This record gives sequence, C-alpha cells and structure tokens, in this order.
Amino acid sequence: MSSTITDAADLVPPDPGMTTGTVDDGGARQSAVSAIGQRARSWPATTAITATAIAVSVPVLVIVWSIVQPSTEVWEELWATRLPGMIRDTATLLITVLVGTVVLGTSLAWLVTAYQFPGRRILGWLLVTPLAIPGYVLGFVWLDTLQEPLGARSVRSIWLCALVLTITLYPYVYLFARAAFREQSQRAIDVARSLGCSRSQAFWRVALPMARPSLAGGAALVGMEVLTDVGTVRLFNVSTIADGVLRVWFGTGNRNAAAELAVLLIGIAVVLIAMERLARGRARFTQSGSRTGLNVERLRGGRAAAASAVGWGMFTLAVALPLYRLITWAIEARRTDQTATVAGDLGFHVMSSLRVAAVATLSCLALGLLLVAGLNRRRRSGALLARMATLGYTVPGPVVAIGVLVTLAALDRTGWLPDGWLLVGSFVGLIYALVVRFLAVAYQGIESSVAKVSPSVIASARTLGAGRFRVASRIELPLAGAGIIAASVLVAIDTLKELPITLILRPFGTETLPIWVWQATSESLWVQAAVPSLAIVTIGMVLVAALLWALEHGAETVS
Amino acid sequence: MSRKHPRYLLGSLLVGALIISACGSDDTADDSADDSPGTSADGPDEASGMITVYTGRHYGIEPVFDEFTTDTGIEVRFTTGNDPELRERLIAEGANTPADVVMTADAANVELSAEAGVLASVDSDVLTETIPEELRSEDDEWFALSQRARVIIASTERVENPPTTYAAVGDPEWDGKLCLRPSTHPYTQSLVASLIIAEGEAGATEIVQSWVDNDPLYINSDTDIYKAVADGECDIAIANTYYLGRLLAEDPDFPVGIVWPEQDGRGAHVNVSTAAVTANAPNPDGALALIEWLATDGQKQFADANYEYPADPSVEPTEIVAGFGEFTADLAAVRQLGANQPAAVAVLSATGYE
Repeated sequence: MSSTITDAADLVPPDPGMTTGTVDDGGARQSAVSAIGQRARSWPATTAITATAIAVSVPVLVIVWSIVQPSTEVWEELWATRLPGMIRDTATLLITVLVGTVVLGTSLAWLVTAYQFPGRRILGWLLVTPLAIPGYVLGFVWLDTLQEPLGARSVRSIWLCALVLTITLYPYVYLFARAAFREQSQRAIDVARSLGCSRSQAFWRVALPMARPSLAGGAALVGMEVLTDVGTVRLFNVSTIADGVLRVWFGTGNRNAAAELAVLLIGIAVVLIAMERLARGRARFTQSGSRTGLNVERLRGGRAAAASAVGWGMFTLAVALPLYRLITWAIEARRTDQTATVAGDLGFHVMSSLRVAAVATLSCLALGLLLVAGLNRRRRSGALLARMATLGYTVPGPVVAIGVLVTLAALDRTGWLPDGWLLVGSFVGLIYALVVRFLAVAYQGIESSVAKVSPSVIASARTLGAGRFRVASRIELPLAGAGIIAASVLVAIDTLKELPITLILRPFGTETLPIWVWQATSESLWVQAAVPSLAIVTIGMVLVAALLWALEHGAETVS
Repeated sequence: MSRKHPRYLLGSLLVGALIISACGSDDTADDSADDSPGTSADGPDEASGMITVYTGRHYGIEPVFDEFTTDTGIEVRFTTGNDPELRERLIAEGANTPADVVMTADAANVELSAEAGVLASVDSDVLTETIPEELRSEDDEWFALSQRARVIIASTERVENPPTTYAAVGDPEWDGKLCLRPSTHPYTQSLVASLIIAEGEAGATEIVQSWVDNDPLYINSDTDIYKAVADGECDIAIANTYYLGRLLAEDPDFPVGIVWPEQDGRGAHVNVSTAAVTANAPNPDGALALIEWLATDGQKQFADANYEYPADPSVEPTEIVAGFGEFTADLAAVRQLGANQPAAVAVLSATGYE
C-alpha cells in the first residue's frame, strides 16, 4: 500500500472522489466499499445470523417479558423507599468511575506512548494488568487492608467502591487509548505544531479528538461493567439498581418487580450506548497505510523520574499491593492448613476454569465473526439484530443466569433431547449462558477493528479485481486480526472472572476458581480465598500478555 | 517421531482429552458423577447408590457427606449455591430435576420452595421422633437439622449492661455504637420476620426504626461484625453465635460476649439449617436415607462442623458452644419465618435500614 497517498490525506480534506481520509463522513460510503457486511445477502447466512440473535436475546427477553404483568404494588413501595437511593448511587458510581477511568486510562496511555522515560516499555505492559484482578477480589483485599487505618465505617463508602472499580476497569480505556495513540501518525501532530500549536495543544486539539471514538468505546465497556456489577458494590454497602434487582428478587421472590428494575437498567445502558455513538460522532477514523507512530519525547531528570513514579505508583496500588496481600494470605492458609472448605484441589479448579473460559471464548469469537461479517448495520433490521445479540451485556449476570435457566428448562420439558439428556446443568447450557452475557464484548471488539480498516485499501483491492470474499479474507480480517485477538482475550478474561452465571448453571464436576473464591468470601474467610484469587490473577496476567503481544504483532503486520 | 518427542505426544493427548471432556460433559444425569469432586469413588455401585443434593449450606459440608457414604454406601453428588438461586433452579427444572435433596441455610427459603410445590411431604418415624415439631414444617415437607441463634453480642471490655431484648438495641444509649448486618442478608430478614411474628408489623417497624435511628454501622459479614466489636468500632451488635465459636477456636481470649435476648419472654431468635426431599426426586429412598442419617448418626457432626445447635435436643452441642450457656429459643416462630419474609423486607425498606 502506498504511504504517500494515505498519509497525505491525514489532515487534508478528503478527495471528493475517493474516501482515503482519516476523517470521512462514515455512513454510506464505507459500507459501499467494505466487503464485510455485504455478503450476507444469501439466505443461509441471514438465517444463521437471525437465529443467533434470537437465541442469544431470548433469555433476556423472557425476563423482560415478566413486566407484561406489572407488579405496581412493589413498584410503588420501591419508589417510596429505596429506588431514589438506588438511582442516586448508580448515577454517582457510574459518573465517578467513567470520569476516573477515562482520565486515568487516557493520561497513562499518553504517558507511555508519547514520552520516553526509564521503565516505559515494561510499564506499557504492567499498566494493563489490573484487568486480570476481579473487582470482587480487589474489593475484599482493600476492604480488609484499609479497615484498620480508616475505620470500619468510613471504609464502606461509595467513593472507595468507585476507586476500586476505577482501578480494575481503567485498563479498558487505557488499551483503546494506547492503540489509538499508536495508530496516529506524527504527521498530524507535526501539521498542528507547524500551525502554531504547542505540544500540549496538539494533544488536546489533535491527538485526543482523533482518539475519541476509541475512548468512547472503552468507556462504554466500563459503563456496562459498572451498571451490572453485583460483587464489588455489596462489599462496600453501595445499593445500586443491579443490587436492587437481586434484593427484590431474592428477598421477596417477586420476579416481576425485579424484572422491572432490570428493564430500568437496560434503559440506562441503551442511553449509554447512544451517548457513545454521539461521542463517536459521524466521524470515522480509519487507519492510514503508514503508521510511523508519534515522535517520542525523551524526558530527563526530574520529569523522567516523575513519569516513572506515576507509572510505578499506579501499578503498585492496583496490582503489587493486592498481590502482596494475597500472597501473604496464601502462605498463612498453607501454614494453618485452612483449605478445607472446597471440594477438589487447585489443579482441578484451574482445569475447570480453563475449560469453561476456552470454550466460551471460542464460541463468542465464532458468533461474533459471523455477526460482524453478516450484519449490515446500515439497515434497520441489521441494527436491530445487533442490538438483540448484545442485550445480555446490559443486564447483571444473575439475571442472565435465571433467564437462561427458565429458557433451557422450558426446552428440556419439551422432551426433544434424547432420554436422560438435559440442557439445564449441562456444560452446553453454561457455555450458552456465558455467550448470552459476553457475545457483546466479542462483537464490539471485532466490529470496531474491522471498521477501522481504511476504505481506500479495500477500494484499491477491488479495483485490482479482487472479489468480495477475497477482500474480506485476505485484507479485512488480517488487518483486523490484532483487534480480533484482543477482543477474544477480553472475553476470555471476562469469563475467567465470571461468578454468578457459573454459580447457578455449572454442571456437576465443574468448579471454577471464582466459585472457590465465593465459597470462602461468603463466609468472610479471606485467607482461604487467597489461593484461588492468585490463580485467577496469574492466568489473567498470561492472557493480558497475550493481548499485548497481539496488539504489538498486529501493529507490525499492518505497517 | 513419537519416540523422540514423547512430550509432544503427551501434550497432544492432553489436548485431545481436554476437548473430549469439554464436549462429552453435556450429559448431566449419570456419567459425570465420576469427575465430580463431591463424590467419593469407593462406595458400592448399587441401583439406588447415588443421590444428588443442592445445598445452600456449604461450609464444611463435604466431610459430612463423605462420612455418610462410608456409613451407608450411598454416594452423594452435590452442588453449592445461594439458597434463592438454587430454589429458582429447582422450580425451573420441575419434573426434570436431578436433585433428590435440597438443603438450605435458612427457614424462609425452604418455606418458599414448599409453597412453590417442589418439595415432597415425607412420612418418616425416625424424623418425627428426633426432630421437635416446631422444627419441621406442618406437613413434614422440610426438617431442621441444626439451629443457629441470632443474639446480641457486646464487648466484654467496654460494656457493662448490654441490652437484653431486641427492642432495647434501639435505645438511644447505643447511638453510633451499634453494628448490624445489611438488609440484603437472609439473617437480617429472618430476624425481622420473627419480630413481626411476635410484635406485629407496626411493633416490628417501631423496633427496626429505633435501630436505624442509632445510626448503625452496616457490615455484610458476621465475622467482621465480631471483629468490629472487638476493635471498638462498635460496642454492641446482633450476630449469629457460631461465628463466635470459630473465633474462639482461634483465640480463646476473644473479647466479645453473648447476651441471650428475650429470655423472660419468647426466647432468642433462631433460624435453622434445613433439608427436604424434592417432589420429583429420582431417588427418594436415598434422599430420605440422607436426611434420616443427618438427623441421627450424623446429627452431631453436622451441627459441630459449624458450631451450631443440633436440632435433636438430646444431642449435645460441641464444647465451645456448650460454653455459651443454656438459653430459651423462640422455636414457635420458626415455621412462620418464610411466610413473614416479604413483610420483613418491606419493613426494612420502609425504615431505611441499609
């Protein structure tokens, strides 16, 4: 590919005849060029996609359906009592964590991308690693650690909860921001500088706006995670809407009232997604052919030391201290032989976790690719199917679990499976539920990376006579390959940390690491939770390393 | 080649096995018993040789099941979870459920299952003789196996005259000095249900309101509540006794004491661990055998594993628990806890209990 043509278009208004620009009007033209999204006109593909979207959305719709018979009584009582507080807590947590993760993720990403300082390379990796620590683990570690200095009363605050969530979730924004900054060409900054911008002005007026779609994508994931969290909030006595769904459901057995709250949650998620689209704007930022990367400014003396300190400080706070605490507990558990509450040893739990995470990830990946390849989101039906397929990510895990339970149990009652075979409590049933919950992560990741492939590249290939299939298989998917691997790793980490769905739907003989953590923490036996927590973090770290390798490797292939 | 690289062969075998095990484990009914950790492999292989248990009580449960298998030859396959979620699963599965026995850590949840019609009425002389009438459901759909008392606890270092009734916990004297468990937890809900049974909804609301007015520190863990009292975060609290059993086992000088509430009246609030045969049990005989064993031969081990009080009054509690002293328990309320739970949740919401 020719770097001169594409680079020149970086800031020059796009040639009206051919959309090669970094900023184009997005809509119609891109879909006219992209091979992906065009091939699904054949009916087998359409059928497969429609079937997937329906299968994945049914469990959520089953729950939502309950509100056809609204339980106004409970609803009125909720309005009069807890609901205002739930909305306030949810809004406070959501806004605080969103602002926190965007500021933290973006500035750390800019720091390791634009500046050279001691430890920069290793920090670029280490700053992603908080992703490997589940919020509920970081939560109980901090709760126990800060209890003494802060006091039991002030440690249980929404602000500390927001801090814990910010620290575990900022890597989503960091990853996207870092990838966006790395893809940017120095030329854009140079042009801005030549027009009189200072370096920091160039960041605010060029680099940051160009990274905006990626930041919005990362922030949207963070928003979903915060909205649906039910593990971390309860540790800190924060009463969110998601927590309220479970409170109403399990406290009163009133599924309708719980469903109404769940629909409120879906409503907020829809607003959040709309805001993300708005933040992306009509602009589409595509990769240009040559990615020279930004010129890195070498920091010296005090500034270099300060940059290092910020990076290492963050890592210490988010990963090193909790790890230290977990290791101390693990040693104590070993010394005092406190391992008796679970069945099966560490190896057994690790294998269970790996098996579930691997199969769920591959399933999400396959279906995600199918959807991205087949859906034409410009069409109303395509957008609807995409929304259906990603519905499960907007409701808390336990709600998905019950929805899947009800759906599969109804299928089991029809007796269409051979005698003695049941979907509820089967491995297939568990994987299905995890796909319902996490397909959105795979789909979003794949879709955004495919969307970034420059239309000009595709147009060139088409001009040279390549068919649509050839373009998709030889150009679009390889170019988006790194993004696809990254999306898979995110799904893998999500499924590895997943608790509520696995707890309700796991088959006999499958006991994952988070189940072990739950067994111990539900009895406040923090010491006994250390070993499985460490195992989750270790596997998560390996996955994070794979993620970064994929991103680096992807960058090399493309340039 | 395989001779030169036996590791590769081993590796590919492992991968193959992984794939096969991943694909092959969708049958829930029988085959997966072999790789279940909840199964001891050495029992005889009879037709009625295995039962399946859903249990919301999971602390220290496995050794008890192992003992049962050794005693009777019946294997136990179990899955753990939260009581309400296991109930949802049981209801959803209906006639297809693999569960023979369901065990809960509180009375309300098992009562809700009974109302949903997923439990079987059981006719067993062993159970009616050993378990007092108040500790099993009216038509013998569920049986308590152990009792857990929820009592007032106080610092032995700072408190001289602790309250002796649940209402007195709301005395302004304890403003800012009280620790409670959040309303999301079944133990809190069941305690308030017992207040409703004793005092009516208005009376219960008044009491809970007085607690809330004392600006309690809510801690979602009884162990941490005990520690908070020991550390001086609060002077008094409401908690279950058996956590003190665990703490005393670690540190005999732990500076928190128990006050038995309502001893001049109905007695201390007790909740129960229960077991029930499911309505659609594939192996109802095996299910009954487990519950009868837990009520008799296994009764002491079951209760002692968690420092609880045995349901059978003729069985002595463990030494540490016996050291807490004799007390009157509010047994009359146990059967009604489930029916009053929704009202309890409403009272907790109305008073702004966190």
